[in-house]
Amino acid sequence: MTSSHIQSVDSVILIADDSDFDRLLLKSILKEQGHQVVEAVDGLDAVAVFDRERPQIVLLDALMPNMDGFEAARRIKLLAGEDLVPIIFLTSLQDAGSLARCLDAGGDDFLSKPYNPVILQAKINAFVRMSEMHKTMRDQRDEIASHNAHLLHQQNVAKKVFDRVAHAGCLDASNIQFTLSPAAVFNGDILLAGVSPTGNMTMLLGDFTGHGLDAAIGAMPLAEVFYSMLKKGFSLRDIIREINLKLCDILPVEIFCCAFFAEFDFNNNRVQVWNGGLPDCLIYSALDNTITRLPSRNVPLGIVPLVNLKDSIELHEVKEGDRLYAWSDGIIEAGNSDGEMFSEARLLKLFEGGGPKLDLFPTINAAVVDFIGEGTAGDDISLIEVTVVAPESFKVAIAETEGELSGGPDDWSLTYNLRREAIREFDPLPQLLQVLMQVPYLRQFGGQVFTVLSELYSNAVDHGILRLDSAIKNTPGGFSQYYRQRKRGLAALQEEEILIKLHYGGTATGGTLEITVKDSGAGFNYLTGAGQPISDSHKSGRGMHLVRSLCDSVNYLGVGNEVCAIFVWGNHKPRNPAIERVQ
Amino acid sequence: MSDTYQHLDVAIIEELRVVMGDNFSLLVDTFVSDSALRITGIYEAVTAATPESIRRAAHGFKGSASNMGAVRLAALCNELEQMGLAGGSDGAAALADDIAAAYAVVEKELTALR
Amino acid sequence: MSITSTTSTDGSELTIAIEGRFDFSSHQTFRQAYEDLTEKPDMYSVDMNAASYLDSSALGMLLLLRDFAGGDSANISILNCNDDVRKILAISNFEQLFTIK
Repeated sequence: MTSSHIQSVDSVILIADDSDFDRLLLKSILKEQGHQVVEAVDGLDAVAVFDRERPQIVLLDALMPNMDGFEAARRIKLLAGEDLVPIIFLTSLQDAGSLARCLDAGGDDFLSKPYNPVILQAKINAFVRMSEMHKTMRDQRDEIASHNAHLLHQQNVAKKVFDRVAHAGCLDASNIQFTLSPAAVFNGDILLAGVSPTGNMTMLLGDFTGHGLDAAIGAMPLAEVFYSMLKKGFSLRDIIREINLKLCDILPVEIFCCAFFAEFDFNNNRVQVWNGGLPDCLIYSALDNTITRLPSRNVPLGIVPLVNLKDSIELHEVKEGDRLYAWSDGIIEAGNSDGEMFSEARLLKLFEGGGPKLDLFPTINAAVVDFIGEGTAGDDISLIEVTVVAPESFKVAIAETEGELSGGPDDWSLTYNLRREAIREFDPLPQLLQVLMQVPYLRQFGGQVFTVLSELYSNAVDHGILRLDSAIKNTPGGFSQYYRQRKRGLAALQEEEILIKLHYGGTATGGTLEITVKDSGAGFNYLTGAGQPISDSHKSGRGMHLVRSLCDSVNYLGVGNEVCAIFVWGNHKPRNPAIERVQ
Repeated sequence: MSDTYQHLDVAIIEELRVVMGDNFSLLVDTFVSDSALRITGIYEAVTAATPESIRRAAHGFKGSASNMGAVRLAALCNELEQMGLAGGSDGAAALADDIAAAYAVVEKELTALR
Repeated sequence: MSITSTTSTDGSELTIAIEGRFDFSSHQTFRQAYEDLTEKPDMYSVDMNAASYLDSSALGMLLLLRDFAGGDSANISILNCNDDVRKILAISNFEQLFTIK
C-alpha cells in the first residue's frame, strides 16, 4: 500500500502541529504525494502563516499551546472570507463532544492517528475538488452578476431613448387618464397618443408578444412611424398600414403586436377604431349608461404584410362626455395570491348596473389593486380612458417643426390632378401638406392650412362629385348609411376628376397662399344657393363656415364646381378676389 | 497483522520507510527528541496529580507512538489517558514508569532499524 | 408538455398532437416535430385535444409553422380546440390564417 500510486493534486497545504515528529511525518507524506507544504508550530503561528501563504487546505492539530486549534480555525475561516478553505482537524479525540467542537469551530473533517496516507490523500483530493467547484461557481456567479448589471444598464438606456420617442405625444392632455407601469415597454406594452394637424387625436395601445428587450425592440420604430405620420396628417388607415408593414419587416415571424387604434374627431363627434388582438375595448356613455363593445376583428400587427384595411376600421358616433376605455390583457390576467385571475367578467361588471358612472377610471384601478392584494406585482396593468370633449376644450400645443426659418420657395405653384383610382384609393392631403411645409413661414399655420385643404377636398369628393347629402347624417342610423353611399359612389366612378392648385407668393414678413379645388361635377348656383347639396356648413363651426373663418376670402367660381380659398399671413396684401365666371 | 504486544508494528515501520525514503533516520531522531519531551511532560503531570493534564500528556504521547508503530507504548499511554479522563490519579505514577520502560525498548529497536 | 407527430401513410399530411401546456418552453420540441421530415407534407394538422393552455408564444409558434409551410399558401388546420383555446385563437382572429375546427 504505497502512496506513490495514488493520483495527487498539486496544492499548498498548511500543517499546524506543535509536535516536531507529527509535523515531519505529515509533511513527508504530503510531499511524497506531490503537494507543497508550509508549517506552523502553534495556533498563533498558524493564523500568521495562513495569512501570508494562503494555502488551499489547512491541517490543524486540535490541542496546541498559544492558541488552540479551535480558535485558530475560527480566525482562519474569517481571513478566508468568501474563499472556501477546508480545515482538517488532526485529532485522536473520539468523544462526540470534542468532535462537535471541531465542527463548530469551522472544521470540515478529521484525521486521526496513526496517519493513513491513503485516507489522507482521499480527503485532500475531495476537498481540492470541492474548492475548485466552489471557485468556479463563484466566478460564474460574478460573471452572471456582471452580465445582469450590464443588461439592466442597457435596459435603462433603451428605456430612456424610448421615453423620449414615446413622449412626443399628448398623453398628458386633460381628457386622457391612463395607468402604465414605468417599465411597461419591457412587458411589451406601449401607449401612444398624438394630435393631427386638423386637431384629431389618435391613440394607440399596443401589446407585443414576449418580454424584455425583444418585446421593446419593436416599440421604437412603431412609435416613430406613428408620431411622424400623425404629424403629417396621414389618415388612420395609412398609419395602420405603414406600421403593420414596418413590423412585418423587422420583427421575427413569431413576434407580433396586438394593437388598438382610436382616432377621435372632436369636431364631428366621431371616433374611428381598429382592434387587432386586444381584449374588447369599449365606449361608455354616461348619458344613457350603456356600453358599446369594440371587439378584436383583425389579425394583430406584424403578421400579414398586405392587410386589407378597407372594411376593418369601424366608425362610431359619440357624444360629448362619452368615454372610451382600452386595456391590454394584463388587467384581465392579473392574479391574486389564490391563483385566481381578475377576468374580463369582473372588469365588465364595473360598467354595468346602477346609475351613470363618472369615476370609472379610479374605480377600475382600485378594483384591480384590491383584487390582487398585497405582495403581488401589479406591474402589468395598462389601461387608458379618453373622454370625448368639445373641440375648444381639446387644446394641445402642437410642437413646432424644427428647422431654421431660412428661405424656402417663395413664389411657386403646384397643380395636382386626381382621377378615378386616385380619388377612390388615395389620400393626397399629407403629401400636399408636406409640400406646403417646405415654406418655413407656413409651418406655424400648418393646422389651419391643413384644415382648409381638407374641407375643400372632402367637399369636392362628397358633394361635388358624389352629390351626397349630409343631412342624412342627422337621422338615426344615418351615419353608416352616409358612408355606405359614399363607398358605393366611389366604386362607381368613371371619368370624374379633381384638380387641386396651390399657389404661394411671399416674403419674410408675409405671404399669400391660394388654394383652388375644382371638381368635374355639375356644381351649383352659388349666387342663389340653388342646387347645392347640403353640406356640413349648416352645422355651426363646421365645414365651409370653418374654412371662411380661417381664410382671408373664399369664393366660388365657374359653375360652382370650383372654389378658391385665400390664406394670408403677416403683412401681405391679399389678392383681389377672382372675377366670377359663368360657364 | 501484528500481535498487539509486540513493541513495533513491522508493517507500519515499512510504510514509514517508503514515505520517508532517505529521511527515515531523521524521522527516528525526531521521534526520540519528541518523546523525551513527552515523557518529561507525563511525569510532571503525574507529580501534579491533576487528571486533566495527565489525560492531555498521555493523549499526546499516544498519538506520536501510534504513528511510529510503537503499539504497546501507545496502548499504555491510552490506559493513562483513560485514567485521567476518569478523574483518577492513583496508580498514575506506576503507569508512567511502565510507559518510560516501554519507550526505552522502542528507542533501542528503532535505533537498530535506522 | 409532450408532442406526438404522425404522418399519413402517403406522407401528404402531418398531424402534430399537443398534450399539456403549450407555452414558451415548448419551442424546441414543437419545431422539431415538423422541421426534419425528409419530405414536406402538403397539409398540417395541429391537434389540440389534450392541450390545456395556450399563450402568446404558442401563437408565435403556430406562426412559425405557417411560415415554414409556405406562409399564405400553407394549409394548416387546428383541430379539437376546447373553449379556452378557441377563445385565444379567436381574439387574434387566427381563423383568418388557419383553418380552425
